[in-house]
Amino acid sequence: MENIALAAILVPFAGAALTLLAGQKAAKWLCQLFAAIASICMAELAYTYAAAGKVAHTYLVAAVGDTTLFGLTVDSVSVLIGFAVVVLGFLVAVYSSAYMSEGNREHPHEGTPRYYAFLLVFIGAMAGLVLSSTLVGQLLFFEITGGCSWALIGYYQKPKSLASALKALLVTHVGAIGLYFAAALLFAHTGSFALSGLAGLDDSAKTLIFFGVLFAAWGKSAQLPLHIWLPDAMEAPTPVSAYLHAASMVKVGVYIFARAILSAGHVPEIIGVVGSIMAVATLIYGFILYLPQKDMKRLLAYSTITQLAYIFFALSLSIFGSNLALKGGIAHIFNHAFAKSLFFLVAGAISYTCGTRSLPALKGLLKQSPLLGIGFCVAALAVTGVPPFNGFFSKFAIFAGGFEVARTHWMLLPLVILAMLESVASFAWFLHWFGATVPGETSEVVAASSKVPLAMQFVLVVLVIMSLGSSFIAASWLG
Amino acid sequence: MNTLPLVLVSVLLYVAGAFASLLLASNERLGIRCAGLAGSAAALAGLAASAPALLSGQTLDFASSGPFPFARFVVHFDLLAALMVFVISLLALAASVYSLSYVREYEGRGAWAMGFFMNLFIASMLALVVVDNAFYFLIFFEMMSLASYFLVISEQSNEAVKAGFLYFLIAHAGSVLIMLAFFLLYQHSGSLDFASFRHLHLSTPLASAVFLLAFFGFGAKAGMVPLHGWLPRAHPAAPSHASAMMSGVMVKIGIFGIIRVGVDILGATTTWWGLLVLAIGGISAVLGVLYALAEHDIKRLLAYHSVENIGIILMGVGAGMVGMATHQPLLAVLGLLAGLYHLLNHAVFKGLLFLGAGSVVFRLHTKDMEKMGGLGRRMPLTALTFLIGAMAISALPPLNGFVSEWFTYQSLFTMSLQGSFLIRLAGPIVVVMLAITGALAVMCFVKVYGVSFSGAPRSPHAAEAREVPAPMIAGMALLALACIALGLGAALVAPVIAHIASQLAATGAIDVASQTLVYPGSATRTALSTPLVAILLAGGLLVTVVLGGLYREQRQKRRHGGDAWACGYAHDPRMVVSAGNFAKPLREMFAPLYRLRQQADPSPAMRHSLSWLTGAASWMEPRFDDNIVAPMLRGIHWLGRQVQRLQHGDFRIYCLYIVAALVILIVLTAA
Amino acid sequence: MQTMIFLAILQALVLLAVAPLFSGLSRVLRAKMHSRRGPGVLQDYRDLVKLLKRQDVATADSGPIFRVMPYVLFGSMLAIATVLPLVTTRSPLGAAGDLITVVYLFALSRFFFSLSGLDTGSTFGAIGASRELTLGVLVEPIMMLALFVAALIEGTTNLGGIGLGIATGHYVSPTAIALAGAAFGFAAFIEMGKMPFDLAEAEQELQEGPLTEYSGSALALLKWGLALKKLVVAQMFLGVFIPFGQASEMTAAALAFAAAVAAVKLLVVFLLSALVENSVARGRFMLTPKVTWIGFGVASLAFVFYLTGL
Repeated sequence: MENIALAAILVPFAGAALTLLAGQKAAKWLCQLFAAIASICMAELAYTYAAAGKVAHTYLVAAVGDTTLFGLTVDSVSVLIGFAVVVLGFLVAVYSSAYMSEGNREHPHEGTPRYYAFLLVFIGAMAGLVLSSTLVGQLLFFEITGGCSWALIGYYQKPKSLASALKALLVTHVGAIGLYFAAALLFAHTGSFALSGLAGLDDSAKTLIFFGVLFAAWGKSAQLPLHIWLPDAMEAPTPVSAYLHAASMVKVGVYIFARAILSAGHVPEIIGVVGSIMAVATLIYGFILYLPQKDMKRLLAYSTITQLAYIFFALSLSIFGSNLALKGGIAHIFNHAFAKSLFFLVAGAISYTCGTRSLPALKGLLKQSPLLGIGFCVAALAVTGVPPFNGFFSKFAIFAGGFEVARTHWMLLPLVILAMLESVASFAWFLHWFGATVPGETSEVVAASSKVPLAMQFVLVVLVIMSLGSSFIAASWLG
Repeated sequence: MNTLPLVLVSVLLYVAGAFASLLLASNERLGIRCAGLAGSAAALAGLAASAPALLSGQTLDFASSGPFPFARFVVHFDLLAALMVFVISLLALAASVYSLSYVREYEGRGAWAMGFFMNLFIASMLALVVVDNAFYFLIFFEMMSLASYFLVISEQSNEAVKAGFLYFLIAHAGSVLIMLAFFLLYQHSGSLDFASFRHLHLSTPLASAVFLLAFFGFGAKAGMVPLHGWLPRAHPAAPSHASAMMSGVMVKIGIFGIIRVGVDILGATTTWWGLLVLAIGGISAVLGVLYALAEHDIKRLLAYHSVENIGIILMGVGAGMVGMATHQPLLAVLGLLAGLYHLLNHAVFKGLLFLGAGSVVFRLHTKDMEKMGGLGRRMPLTALTFLIGAMAISALPPLNGFVSEWFTYQSLFTMSLQGSFLIRLAGPIVVVMLAITGALAVMCFVKVYGVSFSGAPRSPHAAEAREVPAPMIAGMALLALACIALGLGAALVAPVIAHIASQLAATGAIDVASQTLVYPGSATRTALSTPLVAILLAGGLLVTVVLGGLYREQRQKRRHGGDAWACGYAHDPRMVVSAGNFAKPLREMFAPLYRLRQQADPSPAMRHSLSWLTGAASWMEPRFDDNIVAPMLRGIHWLGRQVQRLQHGDFRIYCLYIVAALVILIVLTAA
Repeated sequence: MQTMIFLAILQALVLLAVAPLFSGLSRVLRAKMHSRRGPGVLQDYRDLVKLLKRQDVATADSGPIFRVMPYVLFGSMLAIATVLPLVTTRSPLGAAGDLITVVYLFALSRFFFSLSGLDTGSTFGAIGASRELTLGVLVEPIMMLALFVAALIEGTTNLGGIGLGIATGHYVSPTAIALAGAAFGFAAFIEMGKMPFDLAEAEQELQEGPLTEYSGSALALLKWGLALKKLVVAQMFLGVFIPFGQASEMTAAALAFAAAVAAVKLLVVFLLSALVENSVARGRFMLTPKVTWIGFGVASLAFVFYLTGL
């Protein structure tokens, strides 16, 4: 298993080097090939892990003396999330091969090897972060993803893109200070960077380390007060937004927080309190900021912020003792990745075919392109949590867990109720835009739109199916 | 065959019909037929499952662990579930048969989607009423709202989309309230099974909180005042067979939920719950029918009547809940009997009326009653079935509407006989509301039938109308016969429903019928025999016919022709009273209640706050960049510029720096 | 049991037979009050025979409802006549003699009466129908409340049962029964369609309202049915609230005595109503609610007295 995991991490890096060297024509195929290989590796890892009875393993990769520097953790959570991020990376690569072309009406541009190389590096970095068992390992891949995101957000190299890329890099790097601090503190107390060492620490040390991790998580996952980079990061090409800002980079934050909780055993309740309050504050702030948005991608960016707040809320609730909330939060990471990617890729298809992302200009999408209409609908329902789509099941588990712990910590009850109310409000807002955009007579922009390429259609269909089924996969996998 | 497998077969047939419709999207004719036939077969399976269960009185259970570890998939097929399955299946049968012709109108305009969503809609309702676990209940509840949302927006016009938005929003908000109620129960019982909820002993404030949440959550689905705003917009927008299902069955799911939570799970232990239900029932009944009178769109009118009838059902349920709280078994059973009987009856006659309206719209392509007229002679079968439906909903003896309203009156009467001052005050007040409602309903349906089917045609379309195809007539006829059967057969139906009521109220058996009589507990109090009333009416008719035959030889044959009398002027079609004017005097007499609609409308306030919030958000968005990041950057640049002062560019100064640093270090190390 | 059925049919047929007599009586009383001689109490029989010999004419637009309405109206009045307590304290056919059943049978006749007004396509018929229904909305609550208060006091909603209770002296609160009786009498007077409330027919304004287009045998039956309705409404009031004199055992003597008392009571009621109707003009339609509110107020007062037990 250790070798499969290492392969899953290293193959994309190797592929990136090859892609850079190959010409423009071969780049996109190489990217898809290596992403596919990495996906197969992750699938193989999952299969092997399940066949071996789902027993968690930690492997040592590099150590200096007694200090563990890098290691691998193979358990249910890392395999599940790892599978999601790598497979989504593959789907995004396939989608990009069609999107980054001259046929794109919004940004006609042929994808350069640079793009595909950075995408592969990103896939590898994500796999590495998810499977990492030490804080230093996490830190390394954290910074690599930061760098890649700078490159990819500023890909079009316009002034606005470059400014947004720099902003993203700086804000997430400021967040990274927390992780540096946490790693240093862990080393100071245990002499090693391994996360398993968290369990043996006393409460005050744990609190400080967790605050560090939490700060970094907020930065990477665009939570209040470090959320400012995400809406502007929409300057990136849409497949990048789908991958980075829906499926993977923003999930880094919640993942490191979840991993810390899983490794620490008992977590001091103050972390839960701070986490919950900030999560609900972000939730409400994120919703209010939906209202003036007319650019579809900016709306989706704020939606990502609120959905991540749900996950943070779930993880904070689990600190008070709810296993159900923990499972719900992790399932939500999995579900939301697919649902939000679908939504972003639909937005990308819309801008590819119609040349605009402005919601008021769009109407009658269903008539012109049933696939896009259905995709929009499924994505909206999945993200806002309407059964039978995936978002509902994880949100339900989160709320149920919240009520569970609210029995003994009654101050949590208003927060849970606020979260439920926000869920209704989000639903209303997305339903409003669905009604304005999808049914009815086509507007001029939509009527003049071109056809959706086959590769993009394929990816959208796969994501629609996953939006229906991913919650069942997550539930049966996590147990 | 056994009951539970039949229910499963029914659900699977609906799903199969849905996917058949989806897959046959390119051959819509075949798809419509498949969807309709699958739906009918499924409905027959549902009837075959529920009818024996209702008659035998058994409760069936099934449990299995589902894919989710926190919720088991539990099925609890008690008598209430059996009744709901029966109602759903009966209406689904009529609607599916009806759809075989009706949906042809939509060929090329999304008929395949209609078949898909309609069958999924019915399947989710069926699944909803039999599951006994909060998680699965909510899933099917939301799926029901989702499927019907797509049916509502099927026309894809602006009005339909807006109606759908309001509908789905209120439905979803309602389901979140229900979720809250279930979570409060889950908190204390540790499991999401209804069975575990039933065994809880909650403190009164907590139980009341759960009840209120569930009541308003399910009430939003039922369309009771003040959460009824979506009904008159959503039901007309959907195609008529879907409106029939929505108005006939879906709003009953709201009532089902209130009974499940308030009566079954919580046990209706507190008196003021029942009084609240009664109050809202009375208000919904009166306002519903009053607003219906002001409409001239036939489907909007029927939608408002659903609000009215939900009010009447709630009156019965409220009386039953009061009976349970005050430990009066007779009252509890009578009230629930009245409510459930009216639930069944309303489903039947409202479904019939919507199908009739659909037939009219099918031929005339308009829902405006002012453009109808004279259809009674051009569409005789539709007119006849519509008349039966109109008589049933106006609660005219001996049809079914009358029997359930009679029971409602009897339950209110029983409630008023004893109890606290508040209860004895409330009873007759609600009776008066019910009486007003009845009279207003008579007025409204005379208007509907009279303006649509009687008199002269008011538009060219009306003059050219023909009768509708056979499947549509079959669907309507089935329901019309059911109206008559449920009315005349009251003595057979009432004991079955009373059994359901006594199971819910956990009381012993209460006698409500014998031979052809129905009575509230004992025949010595009072009794009703619908067959007897029918015989008396028939006898009276016969006597009249005989009297009319007197002197027949001495008079000429009946002449049918010529204009109506207009005081010597030539009769002009514009002289005929329109739908709006027919009810105008009443609208003026009740003007304050009509003004209430505008005064209590929350949308202007909500729109205003939404635009304020949007403005605040637009202001907020750049604040972080402008007020935090930009000053920081400016500060850093300033700092950089200050540090830059050190860089003069003159290397002699740099040498001076090196010397100065050396001197400082020497001084420090020496010290 | 068989005697009761026989009695029920007999009482219906008797009421049927004497209905034109009473409407003739009203005509004579009106004439007398107008200082005229009047046509004689048997005039309405002569009118009916004359009409039965005339041709039936229907407008081109009318349909089956128009044809059927006189029969339904007459039939439902006969049905009500069979169940009213006329000579016996108990209703002859108790299974249909519930107050709710009777009130809704009236609604049935009102439904068809108004519907036929719309069916002809005649303006007057339609407006008459609209007025009839509006009046029904205003009056039915008064009837229901008054009867309900009486029912609550006597513990049953069966008309005969209420009558029996009042006859044998079971009243919790005499004032409540009296007020309820007054309110119901007021409502009954309105239902009888006499001035000032003959808004549906409104001869001078609406040319007879829903009756406009009827002629020949249909008109004869309709007039007869409406006459029977007046009688039935009056008897409903008398049978429930003034049941004294009705027979409690089924002996020939008691029944004969009860029949005589019933005839006298009906005569008194028609006399009083003739006095009232000929002293007033038709009410303005839009001001009718003000009057009916008074009736409702009296019924509410009865309810309050019942609740407080005075």
